[in-house]
Amino acid sequence: MSYRFRKFLKSKRKYTNAVQNAGPAEELYTSLDSNLSKIKQRTGNSSDIVIREMTTAQENKQIGVIFVEGIVDNRTIHDFLLESLMDDPAIETEGTERDVLETIAEKIVPLGEVTRVNNWKELYESLMSGLTIILVDGVMQGLSASTKGGERRSIQEPPTEISIRGPREGFTESLRTNTSLVRRRIKNPNLWVESLQLGEKTKTDVEIMYIEGIASEKNLNELRERLENINMDGILETGYIEELIEDQPSSPFPTIHFTERPDAVAGNLLEGRIAIFVDGTPFVLHVPSIFIQFFQSVDDYYSRAYIASSLRFMRIMVFLISLYAPATYVAATTFHQEMIPTQLLVVLSAQREAVPFPAVIEAFLMEITFEILREAGIRMPQAVGQTVSIVGALVIGQAAVQAGIVSPAMVIIVAITAIASFTTPSYSMAIAARLIRFGLMIVAASFGFYGLILSFIVIIAHLCSLRSFGIPYMAPLAPFIPADFGDSVIRLPRWGDKERPRLFTTKNEREGSGQKPTPPETRNIKKQQMKKGDLNDD
Amino acid sequence: MMIKGLLCFFSMLLSISILSGCWSNQELPDLALVSAIGIDLSEDGEFVNTIQVINPGNVAGEGIQNTGGSESPPVSTYTEHGYNMTEAQRRISKKVSRELYYAHTNLLVIGEKLAEERGIQEIFDALERDNEFRTTTKVVVAQDAKAEEIIKTLTSIDKIPANKVIKTLRSTERIWGENINLETRGLLQKLISPGTSPVISCFRAPGDEEKGEAIEGIQETQPPFRLQASGLALFKDGKLIHTVNGDTSKGILWVLDKIKETGVSLDWKQNKEAIVYEVIRQKTSVSAQVKNNQPKISVEVSAEGDIGETAVPIDLRKPHVLKDLEGLVEKEIKENLLSSIKKTQELQTDVLGFGEAVHRADSEAWKEMKENWNDEYFPEVEVDVKVHAFIRRTGLRNKPFLMDF
Amino acid sequence: MEKAKITPGQLFILIFLFELGSALLIPLGLSAKKDAWLAILLGMGGGLCLFLIYQALYNYYPDILPTTYMQEITGKVLGKLLAFLYLIYFLYIAARVLRDFGEMLVTFAYDETPLFIINALLLFCIVYTVHKGIEVLARTGELLFVLLYFLAVIGFVLVVVSGLIELNNLQPVLEEGIGPVIKTVVTETWYIPFGEVVVFTMIFPYLNRPKHVKAAGLTGIALSGLNIVITMVVNISVLSYELVSRSQFPLLNTIQAIEVAEFLERLDVFFMIALITGGFFKIGLYFYAALIGTADLFKVNGLSRLIYPLGLVVLFSSMTIASSYSEHIQEGIRFVPLYMHLPFQVIIPALLLLIAVVKNRKKQRL
Repeated sequence: MSYRFRKFLKSKRKYTNAVQNAGPAEELYTSLDSNLSKIKQRTGNSSDIVIREMTTAQENKQIGVIFVEGIVDNRTIHDFLLESLMDDPAIETEGTERDVLETIAEKIVPLGEVTRVNNWKELYESLMSGLTIILVDGVMQGLSASTKGGERRSIQEPPTEISIRGPREGFTESLRTNTSLVRRRIKNPNLWVESLQLGEKTKTDVEIMYIEGIASEKNLNELRERLENINMDGILETGYIEELIEDQPSSPFPTIHFTERPDAVAGNLLEGRIAIFVDGTPFVLHVPSIFIQFFQSVDDYYSRAYIASSLRFMRIMVFLISLYAPATYVAATTFHQEMIPTQLLVVLSAQREAVPFPAVIEAFLMEITFEILREAGIRMPQAVGQTVSIVGALVIGQAAVQAGIVSPAMVIIVAITAIASFTTPSYSMAIAARLIRFGLMIVAASFGFYGLILSFIVIIAHLCSLRSFGIPYMAPLAPFIPADFGDSVIRLPRWGDKERPRLFTTKNEREGSGQKPTPPETRNIKKQQMKKGDLNDD
Repeated sequence: MMIKGLLCFFSMLLSISILSGCWSNQELPDLALVSAIGIDLSEDGEFVNTIQVINPGNVAGEGIQNTGGSESPPVSTYTEHGYNMTEAQRRISKKVSRELYYAHTNLLVIGEKLAEERGIQEIFDALERDNEFRTTTKVVVAQDAKAEEIIKTLTSIDKIPANKVIKTLRSTERIWGENINLETRGLLQKLISPGTSPVISCFRAPGDEEKGEAIEGIQETQPPFRLQASGLALFKDGKLIHTVNGDTSKGILWVLDKIKETGVSLDWKQNKEAIVYEVIRQKTSVSAQVKNNQPKISVEVSAEGDIGETAVPIDLRKPHVLKDLEGLVEKEIKENLLSSIKKTQELQTDVLGFGEAVHRADSEAWKEMKENWNDEYFPEVEVDVKVHAFIRRTGLRNKPFLMDF
Repeated sequence: MEKAKITPGQLFILIFLFELGSALLIPLGLSAKKDAWLAILLGMGGGLCLFLIYQALYNYYPDILPTTYMQEITGKVLGKLLAFLYLIYFLYIAARVLRDFGEMLVTFAYDETPLFIINALLLFCIVYTVHKGIEVLARTGELLFVLLYFLAVIGFVLVVVSGLIELNNLQPVLEEGIGPVIKTVVTETWYIPFGEVVVFTMIFPYLNRPKHVKAAGLTGIALSGLNIVITMVVNISVLSYELVSRSQFPLLNTIQAIEVAEFLERLDVFFMIALITGGFFKIGLYFYAALIGTADLFKVNGLSRLIYPLGLVVLFSSMTIASSYSEHIQEGIRFVPLYMHLPFQVIIPALLLLIAVVKNRKKQRL
C-alpha cells in the first residue's frame, strides 16, 4: 500500500471521526438481551430488521443473528450461517483459551469475510450495508459476516447510450458489479480502486478507479481533496458528486462526463482519466473531461477512422444547428431579409402573411410547445407515450399550420432543431444547448446577426475559460495541442495515434511502432489446374 | 452571489429585448418587397419613380392560404414623382401600407426620355448610398417607352416581371449575344471611368399597353403585350445618344468580350447566309499602343465552335472545307467588328473601352488625351482587328442530307 | 501582471487576428491609388522592422512589462510619464477601432439602432473576455481564427467563381511612379495596421517560450500582411479603383458583388458579421494592454477592479472622439498617424532601444 493511499485513508478517518463525534461510539453490552433490545430500539423496530435468537446445541450459548432483510442474500445466511451455528458441535470454548467469537469466525462460519465488531457505530454501519451481525451472550464484541446480496437489476444494454457496434453491457445499480465489469476489461494489477463512504446519513459507497502509472498524480490528489470536502447528509446519485466537485458550478456546460458503458470507462481509464463509481446508480463519472469528449461516442472508436471523424465533425455542426437554428431564422427574417434568396423570401413572406405573431414569438411558441412535448414524452408511462407523440405531432405539425398560428417554415426549423439536439451523444451537453437556445432567440430578436455573432464569441470565450480539474475545457483545440488533436474533432486511425492524450498523463506511449498494416506485395496465385469444385466449398 | 448574477443577467437580457423592440427590426409581413424600380422623367422635369412590389401570397401562397390564386396579379406597381430620387421614393409610402424594402430589387429600368434628356448620373447616387439597394441590380433602358410601362407589364411564365426581364437578359446574353446583362456596379465603373462609356440593354414592350397591365393579358398563349429585349443603348457623358440593334450590338459586345455563345451566318457561293457557325467559346483582348502621340488599338478575337446548320451541300468530313469555312468565319466576324467599331466612332462615344486600353498601355500619353478622348482621339483611332476562328466539331452529323453523293 | 502563460502559436494567432482586425474593413492605403496593395506590402516590410525593435527591447527585459522597463530605461519620472502616455494611446486607439466597427454596423445594417448600443454590446463582450484573462483571449483566438480563415477562403473562392476578378483594373502599375506609394507607406500603411503591433510589447512577457517570439511575430505579421494585400488586390480588381476610393467599406462592397447560382448572393451582412471577430480581438488586445498597463503603473491588484472603469472610458470616448464618421476618418488620416502612431510606434521605441543598448554596454564593461 502506497504512502498516498494511507494518507488517503487517514484523511478518510479524519472525516469519519468528525461524523462520529455527532453520534456515540459506545461499546456493546455484555448481555445479549440488552444488546438486542438496544438494536430494536435504535432501529425503531423496523420490520425489515430480522433478529434471530438461538441457542447452541452443546453449551447452551445464547447467540443472536441480526440482518436486514432484502439487502442480504437469504440463501447464504441460511446455508452457511444459521445452519452451521445451530448444528456445529465445534463450539466448545470451555477449557480452551479461545474466545467464542474467534471460534465462530475461524471454525464455524464458512464465509469469505468475517470481521469483528467492536462498537455500536461499526455494528450499525455493517448491518446497514448488508452484513450479518452475530452477537454472543456474554461477549462485549460481535462479528459481522459478509452476506451482501438481495435483488439487483441484471446487466442490460444501457438505454441512454446505444451503440451499433460494441459491447451490449451497461452498468447496473450495484457498485461491485460495476467495478467488476471494468476489471474484466483491464486485467491488470495496476487498476487501482480506492473507496470511501460519503453522505452522513446515506453512507453511500463511492469508489474511484484509475490505472496506477497512467493517471496523473495531480489529478488524483485534486480529486481526493475535492471528494473529502463533500459534507452532505446524502449522496444518491453521481449527479450529487458532480455538482459538488466541478470546477465551474455556474456554467451551463457540463465539465464532468458520465457514462453507463463499461467499455467507455475502460477506454477513459486507459487515457489517464479517473472514474468515480457511486453505489446505487449505473452512471459513472470520469474526470477530467474536455468539451470534445461530449461529442464522442464509443462507436467512434470501433468504426473506421474516416467515418468516425466525419461523424464527429457532423455532430459538432449539428450541435451548432441545435443551438442556433431558431435564432438564425428569427434574425434572418426580421433583420437581414436581404440574405435570403429572393424566391425563398417570397415563399417565407407568403407563409408569414397570415401569422398573427412576430417571428420571435412564433419561434418561442413552437419551441416551448416542443419542450413540453419532450418533457411529457419522458415522464409519460410508455403506453401513453405513443398517444402523446401522435397528438403532439398533430398539434405542432398540422393543426397549428392550418389554423394559421404558425408558418410551415417555422415548423421545419423547430423540427430540425429538435432532431439535431438528439444527435449529441451526451445528454448533459444537449440539455445545455436547449437552455441556451432560448437566450439566443431573444438576442437574435433584439440585435439580429450582430447579437448572434457576439453571443457566439461570448460562448466561445466562456467555453475557453472553463476548466475541468485544471485542464482547459477546449483543449486540444484551444490551447491547440497537436499531439492530442488526433483524437478530438477527428479520430486518427489507431496506428496513427500513438500517444495517449498529453493533457491527462505524462506517460504517452501506448502502442508499438509499425502498427499500420501492410499487406504482402503480391499474393502468389499460381496458375494451376482447377478441378471441379475447387472454387466452391468442398 | 450566483443568484444575484443570474438575476442581473436576465434583467439585462429582458431589458435589452424590450428596449430594442423597434430598432432595425422588420417583420416579413411589414415589408413590401420591391422587385423592380423604374425611373422616368416627367414633363416638368421631375423624377417619376415606379416600383414593382411583389405580392407574395399570389406568387407562392397557393396551397398554403386561400388568398392565392391567379385571380389577382403577382405584383402591384406604384408611381410617384419628386425633384430628387429620395423624395420620389419616400413619397410612395403614402400609397403602400408596408415599408418599402429595396434589398431584393433586382431590376432597374431607366426611361428613354430620362436617359436622353437628363442623363443617368443623377439617379445612382441615392441608390448607391442606400444600404438596402445592392449593386448587383441589373439595369435596362426602356426603348420607345416609359420605364413605367415596362414595370407595369405582367408576364406569363415567370410570375414576377422583374425576374422575367433578368432571366431573358441572362439567357440571351449567353446564347445570342446582342444584349448585355449589366449590373449597377459595372455601369458605375464605366460611368466614372474617363476611358470608357457604358452600353445598356434595351427592353421594349410592343403592343397594347392597357391590356398588358391586366391579369387577363397573361391568360393567352400569345399575350397582346410582351416584354422583350431589343437593342443596345449607347451612352456618352451619361446621356443616351443612340440605340443600335442586331449585328452592330453583337459586334460591340464582341469587342467588350461579353460574347459567350452565338451564331455566325456565312455566305457560301451565292447562297446567302447558308451556313451557321456556332461559337462555343471565345476570347477577345483589346490592347493599345501609342506612337507619336497617336494611339493604335488592336483587337484580337479567338473563337472556337461547331457547325450548327448548313443549307448547302458541302462535305464537312474534309478538313480543307473546314479550313475554308474558318477563313469565312474570320472574315465575317472581322467585318462585323469593324463596322460596329466604325459606328461607335461615328457616334463619338467610346463604349468599347479603348481609352482604358490606352491608359493601361501608356499612362503618360493618356493624361493628355483623357480630356478630349471621346471627341478628338477616339473617332480617329486606328483599329486593327485580328480574328482566329476554329471549327472543332460538326455536330452529330458529318455531311448534310442535302448532299446526294 | 496576471499569472498566465501563452504559447508562441497563440501569439502568432493573436497578431494575425489583430492585424486583420480593422485593416480589412477600412479603405487602406488608397492615397497610393491603384498601387494600394504595393503600399501595404511595403508597409508590411516596415512593420517587420518595427517588430524587430520591439522584440529587441523585450530581449533586454523579458519578464517585465514595458510600463515598468520604461522607468528603468529613462528613470522614474520620465518613464512613468511615458508609460502613462502609452496607456492613453492604447485606450484612444481602442476607442477609435470600436468606433470604426460601430460605424460600419450602423451604416451597413443597423441604421436605426443607436451607435451607443452597438458599441456598448461589442465592448460588453470584450470586457467579458478580457476579464477572463489573456489565456482565455488567446484560446478564443485559436478557435475563432479557424472560423475566420475558413470564411476568408470561402469568400475568396466565391469571388473567383463568380468571375469578378479583372486584373486589368490594377493596371497600370506605378502610374505616377514610386513616389505616392512611398508617401502612403510613410504616412499610413506603416502604422496601420503594422506598426500597431507595438501593443504586443505588453503581451510578450506572458510568453512561455521567449525564444520563439521573433518567429511567431514575424510570421504573424507577414501572413496577415499578405492576406491584407490579397484582399486589397481583390477589392481593386473587382470594384476598380474609382469605386474602392469612394467606398467606406470596400471589402463589403466586393462581397456584395458575389453572385453564385442565384443563391449565394448579398452575403455582405454575413461577412460583416465575420469581420467583427477581427475587431473584437483588435479592441480586446488594446484594451487588455491598457488594463494591465494601468494595473502595473498604478500598482493596482486584480484586474477586475479596473476593468469596468476603463471599459466605460473606452465606450464613452468612442462616442465622443468625433461627431460624424467623416470627422472620425479625417482624424484618423491627418492627426493620428503623425502625432500618435509615429511617436508611439517608431520614435519612442527606437530611442528606448538605443538607451537600453548603451546602458547595457556600460553594465557589461563594468
